Amino acid sequence: MKQFLLRRLLLLVPTLLGAVSLVFVLIHLIPGDPVEVMLGETATAADKEALRQSLGFDRPLATQYRSFLINLAAGDLGRSLYEPATVVQIIRARLPATLQLAFCAMIAAILISFPLGTMAAIRRGSWIDRSALTFSLLGLSLPNFWLGPLLMIVFSIHLGWTPVSGRGGLSHLILPAFTLGLGMAAILVRILRASLLQVIDQDYVQTARAKGLQESRVWLKHVLRNAMLSVITIMSLQFGGLLAGSLITETIFSWPGIGRLTVQAIQTRDYPLVQGCVLVIATSYVLVNFITDLLYKLVDPRISYGD
Amino acid sequence: MTDTSKQAIFSQSFCARIRLPRRNPYRLFLSVILLPLISTGCRAPAHDRPKGYLVAGIESNPLQLDPRYSTDANSVRIGNLIYNSLLRYDERSQLQSELAEKWHMLDDRTYLFDLRRDVTFHNGERLTAADVKYTYESILEPSSLSPKRGLLRSLEAIDQFGSHKLRFRLRAPHAPFIEQFTLGIVPARAGKPGASNDQAPPGSGPFRLEALESGEKVTLRANPNYWEGSPRLAGVVFKIVPDALVRVLEFKQGGIDFMQNDLEPEMLPWLKNNTDAHIEMNQGTTFQYIGINLTHPILRHQKVRQAIACAIDRDSIIRHLLKNIVSAAGGLLSPHNWAYDQSAHRWPYDPARAEQLLDEAGFMDPDGNGPRPRFRLSFKTTNIDLRRRIAEAFKEQLQQVGIELELRSYEWGTFFSDIKTGNFHLYSLAWVGIEDPDIYHQIFHSSSVPPNGDNRGRYRNSEVDRLLEQGRVTLERSERQMIYRNVQRRLAEDLPYVPLWWWKNVIVKQPGLRGFVAYPDGELISLKKAELG
Repeated sequence: MKQFLLRRLLLLVPTLLGAVSLVFVLIHLIPGDPVEVMLGETATAADKEALRQSLGFDRPLATQYRSFLINLAAGDLGRSLYEPATVVQIIRARLPATLQLAFCAMIAAILISFPLGTMAAIRRGSWIDRSALTFSLLGLSLPNFWLGPLLMIVFSIHLGWTPVSGRGGLSHLILPAFTLGLGMAAILVRILRASLLQVIDQDYVQTARAKGLQESRVWLKHVLRNAMLSVITIMSLQFGGLLAGSLITETIFSWPGIGRLTVQAIQTRDYPLVQGCVLVIATSYVLVNFITDLLYKLVDPRISYGD
Repeated sequence: MTDTSKQAIFSQSFCARIRLPRRNPYRLFLSVILLPLISTGCRAPAHDRPKGYLVAGIESNPLQLDPRYSTDANSVRIGNLIYNSLLRYDERSQLQSELAEKWHMLDDRTYLFDLRRDVTFHNGERLTAADVKYTYESILEPSSLSPKRGLLRSLEAIDQFGSHKLRFRLRAPHAPFIEQFTLGIVPARAGKPGASNDQAPPGSGPFRLEALESGEKVTLRANPNYWEGSPRLAGVVFKIVPDALVRVLEFKQGGIDFMQNDLEPEMLPWLKNNTDAHIEMNQGTTFQYIGINLTHPILRHQKVRQAIACAIDRDSIIRHLLKNIVSAAGGLLSPHNWAYDQSAHRWPYDPARAEQLLDEAGFMDPDGNGPRPRFRLSFKTTNIDLRRRIAEAFKEQLQQVGIELELRSYEWGTFFSDIKTGNFHLYSLAWVGIEDPDIYHQIFHSSSVPPNGDNRGRYRNSEVDRLLEQGRVTLERSERQMIYRNVQRRLAEDLPYVPLWWWKNVIVKQPGLRGFVAYPDGELISLKKAELG
């Protein structure tokens, strides 16, 4: 296990390096010059050239890349080209909002999908099962840019239960977390139901029942636990996506997260900020995958990582 | 102790009491589930509306409030509430004294300023001539990397006489330089952005920066020592709500008191019918146009450009798509501008005339009323939904006279890069905040072809060049007026741009907000005299 942990941690380095290198090349290849955006309409060609030199954009791409890697190794992601702050400061200000929304959306998805998926599997073919599948279909079909405003109109405008948008206390979190969590819950209901139905007829479940175990214990210890592997896989993939920020949900709910920041940075060609955002997103994905591997072992001790 | 602090302490003690059993296989899982909920509880609820504060909804995050560096509209408008300038445009677009108690021109290249003596910065320091001198000189510093450096090119030196007198000397007469006296003044010890932990240097304006939460809101607090008297509002919160529909819903719910522009036209009737909003529309200075690449073999024909102007039914687009939130434009300058020429030629919708002009230019319709076009052109626009719908209307209207448009929409960075490099046939964009007619030099002088200016269509006319150069060095307003009237008439014939419309400033406010006066350039400075009922 120790070897596995060490190997995975070491693998982080080339993965992150690959991600930031790819983005470094891509962001410099797409049309759009940050100097033009920064200096606007009135600057002379000489002013633009001076700024280009000062930012190091006049140097060959390979040289710029080398400087970027050296600074990165020193933990320096540079300064934003527009905001009077370092990339680290800007991301540090936005990351808590993304983490908060991602965790809460995940919780919303779990709270909706686990009871619904389990009930659908237990009462297979019943109205509960059909309702769960209909919910799943609806959840997958409703786009967030439609669902978000709909929830606002019902719960904020008509009922007055929640604020319309923005970040603040718990009440601000309910609608965006539900909007983001609903799509995830719709997938999880289907995966959980299918996994449970696969496990439910296994011999070891029949044996557990024959031993006289209580039905609830059979479900918790033998069915649910064995059905969790595929559910965890899907959850981790979805959660990685949530940590990358959700542009649409963040925009609709005026949520100051990483998704909106990344898009703003790309639109203004704020190269250092784009690099920083991508680094955070890539790190989030890698860490979530890492934790998922640990969870596999927790759920199924038979899984071995070669030690 | 306030309710907020009580709640925070309760949440912290609750957090501290949580003890999960050790060696429990579900400990990790429970931690993952519970922690975010607890941390949410630990965060004190945001004060969206501190007492007496006005909440204004804005679309995007202001990037840089320091007036030496701010270029985006929100930064400039919010910055003008924090910083004073020597002069300032009033609601009739006339320059008025602000920090300048007296000022006059000594000769055609020298300005003398006497500063007010009762002005202090928000940090308590007195504002002196040294601060004004520093502000301008810090921009001129080559290492400043300020986007405003180019605007001060003609400034030779600033001489300080005593603590409150200044002389600005220009290298040569330059009439539009007067606009540069509207630059916000920062203290002499401000340094470059990022030099200190402050988010912006202190100003001397009616409001001071209280908090800047990136992507969330900017909070300004009234300056009780403001030299014109303390504002009646306790402060202003600029809440960043990127989605226009959500801004409207926020207004309906009472989360926002005030919005200006950036609203979808079809939302206004809904706001009128479903809320108590007071809606005002005033003439703005934002000019929308169709840009033309004059190096294109078809578009270099003057009659083709005139035909395009005749083929576009502006009134129909204004009525149906834009719901009258714009007014048809004949040129760059709005009717409020002192240099506006009413007699310049207009190109009203006349498809028959458009077809005649195309025939005269030698581009005959190959099959009469058949499907084959006279020629094909591309039209570039951004991926904003309204812009795309307008482009669809242009396509439909130009098709009626035999011009086929291929529509291409791009995200802003790519679109703007193509326009700058001349990689287009036709495109649509807007000029924001037009005041001095010298903007014609930047857009149509032959020396202003990118990267030296914004003559993106590569328009070249020696007579227009001569007039624009003359307009720059002529200081007498009546003479300048004659020069720019001549420019407007020539451009109305040549049509390097097809003028479309001026955007009106649409102001949506709650009925209790009194004393707010709309400015043509969208400035919010009248908030210093506004009050909430």
